[in-house]
Amino acid sequence: MLGVTGVAGPLGRAALLVGLVGAVFGLVSAVTGTRQSDPKVLRLVPRFAWLTGIASLGAFVCMEWAMITRDFSLAYVQKVGSWSTPALYNFTAVWSALEGSILLWLMVLTFLTVGIAVKYRAKLDDPMVGWALATMFFVGVFFFVLTLGPANPFAAGPAGVLDGPGPNPLLQNHVLVVFHPPILYLGYVGFTVPFAFAIGALVTGRVGEGWLLETRRWALMSWGFLTFGIILGSWWSYEVLGWGGVWAWDPVENASFIPWLTGTAYIHSVLVQERRGMLRVWNLSLLVSTFSLTILGTFLTRSGVLNSVHAFSDGQIGPFLLTFFAVIVLASVVLIGWRGDLLRSPGTIDSPLSREGAFLANNVLFGVFAFVVLLGTVFPLIVEALQDRQLVVGEPFFDRLGVPVGLTLLFLMCVAPVLPWRKASGELLSQRLFWPAWGGTLALLVSVVVGATGIAPLLTFFLGGFAGGAALRQLALATRRQGLRGLVGRANGGMVVHIGVILIAVALAASNSFTRSQELTLKLDTPIEWGGHTFELVGFSREEDDRQTRISARVEVDGTERAPAVTKYLKMGNNIGTPSVLTTLTKDIYVTLEPPVKMDSGTAKIKVFVKPMIVWIWVGGAMMAVGTVLAMFPGRRRKPTDPVSAPVPEAAAP
Amino acid sequence: MNLARRIRSWPVWMLMGLVVVVLLTIGTTRDDGPRTQSERIDAISKRVACPTCDGESVYVSRASAAESIRNQIARDVAAGALTDDEIIGNIAGAFQARVLLVPRATGLDALVWVLPIAVGVCAVAGLAAAFRRWRLQQGAVPSDDDRALVEELLAGGRIDDDEEVL
Repeated sequence: MLGVTGVAGPLGRAALLVGLVGAVFGLVSAVTGTRQSDPKVLRLVPRFAWLTGIASLGAFVCMEWAMITRDFSLAYVQKVGSWSTPALYNFTAVWSALEGSILLWLMVLTFLTVGIAVKYRAKLDDPMVGWALATMFFVGVFFFVLTLGPANPFAAGPAGVLDGPGPNPLLQNHVLVVFHPPILYLGYVGFTVPFAFAIGALVTGRVGEGWLLETRRWALMSWGFLTFGIILGSWWSYEVLGWGGVWAWDPVENASFIPWLTGTAYIHSVLVQERRGMLRVWNLSLLVSTFSLTILGTFLTRSGVLNSVHAFSDGQIGPFLLTFFAVIVLASVVLIGWRGDLLRSPGTIDSPLSREGAFLANNVLFGVFAFVVLLGTVFPLIVEALQDRQLVVGEPFFDRLGVPVGLTLLFLMCVAPVLPWRKASGELLSQRLFWPAWGGTLALLVSVVVGATGIAPLLTFFLGGFAGGAALRQLALATRRQGLRGLVGRANGGMVVHIGVILIAVALAASNSFTRSQELTLKLDTPIEWGGHTFELVGFSREEDDRQTRISARVEVDGTERAPAVTKYLKMGNNIGTPSVLTTLTKDIYVTLEPPVKMDSGTAKIKVFVKPMIVWIWVGGAMMAVGTVLAMFPGRRRKPTDPVSAPVPEAAAP
Repeated sequence: MNLARRIRSWPVWMLMGLVVVVLLTIGTTRDDGPRTQSERIDAISKRVACPTCDGESVYVSRASAAESIRNQIARDVAAGALTDDEIIGNIAGAFQARVLLVPRATGLDALVWVLPIAVGVCAVAGLAAAFRRWRLQQGAVPSDDDRALVEELLAGGRIDDDEEVL
């Protein structure tokens, strides 16, 4: 084994260097080949794409090898490696800190570049494809430079180090660490593809709808991964952090949420451009914003300028990311300005009461929401820069401003699915909204009967029922007409996504508003009743190895034994609570063991949260993922000349 | 008028609106019972930042400083002499305003409240102006660009739209 340790560093650096050369040559050949329409040069582009992909994969394998063999000659392994880390978490330790996470980013990016080169291999002579690939290579060059410079995972560490602390304790006690970061990155990095095609469209002047058609599935796929990654992150937070919540408005969470908001705006407004040829500048701006916000978010959370529970601080990477962000924004603004004449849309939106009018309102709301989250995230920086004092903007701020926006978005989800393109009559709206509105009223009635209170949750339940009715109506009509095929396509898959969003909104409103909690001090074999449940401490268990000491309280909750625990990671010294979650369809009973734990005292202090409807957040997330997949399948084709989506025969009838 | 249209007539909509208003009124005005002490502690803890953590609230954080503040809040709540705002005010006095998770509405901090509202108002006003401009443009003679776009769409036939067709 010793014979192969120490090789990962040189090999990894070599792989990154080869990748950088490949990306530079790929960029040069894509630009020159496209400018000169030289097929010989253009044929080289996919080869350079493959070279960068293989090089980044090689670097990633080297990093994994270094971690597996505990190659403590590398600074990164010294930082996150440890002989005592279990194999699974040792594998995921590669992306548990800054350098490795940038390496993962780079690998996803180069694979996407390969994907584009392969998919469009027959269209390499198309200038738009050429410029899109050039953009991908340009971004690739930047990330190769990062990994060879300020975020080099293969940098040598001090000599003589024989062991390390291992990854952050929170990154070595739940299996979701395997899935959440890579899936989130697939979404984050995936938005580079539509951005690259947008740049291609601007450079070539082909700013019509062609580039949208080429990239809409890429955009949808990236959005789907980002959505699923965020949901998995919430689940992880809930299962690991022990405070009973799913979202804390932490800067890193916000950094993923802001591009999600602009990306969501884009996948709605792009439909208006495809159908009506409008909102060209707006759609380009949304794509540029989404991509540049992924870079800005990375800067905010990886440069050390903002504190976060899961930020990786590093003082050197910040200027690189900030400069790249500025270059991206400046270049995009210049290109959009340059193509201003071509981007002017000839059409108009006839009425606010139309599908496109609703999409526009939806975009305004998503834009405002993104601004609120961005402002709340960076405001501490502004205050510190101007007044040299520290400030924290936390959950109450985001809740106060986010709830009204969220409720308005829910309202739009009630109305938009039933609106036809161009214009809706009052009679048509009355016909289409009637049963969904009664659905909302029924949901409100049930909520009041079961004891719900408070204007925000009640409005959420009402609008949730209303919007759910509108989405189900669309699906019912589509499946009645087309059978199971009525579940696929953007509109129908989108309705499945809407139902997922509604489930999440309703579950969040219920759990945030009606969670009951209580600290209980349990004595051995002495049941305590609280909140309609019985809690009894039946014993303790203690597990110890060279990594951790874990003390669990064996607590019977309504006769079912649970084991909330406190784990002390010996090399870090931190106490990490591991909650026990008893999940049912209507509520979770979430139990945490509160330190300090004194086993010999025969007592344990636990905190109990009774949280309604939590499971529906995860069900909603799964539905959003399924809906995204359904939306990516081609739906029913229709004639582009159809004036409206509904001929409204009844409205015209006497 | 057929039955379906009669069911959807405006009096039925009015009835629905009335039901919704009544239910909302019942739901928002009735007492949902006293909070437990623990719930009051949680509510206060959510508004206070842990002074030694990376942006987490005292409610979320498991750090010892957060634990200490939670204990202080628990003592104040148990004593029953102070309101929530007074308890938070005392903590802010001890740790300075940096432990407040809700920025104040004075001085520079007020910007964090004002700017979103200003942006929201401007966005809605912009949207309204755009719709007004589009309404005024309606009825205009189609330009060459308009005609070219229609020609392009008709010739290309590439719009793959799966939107609702009723």
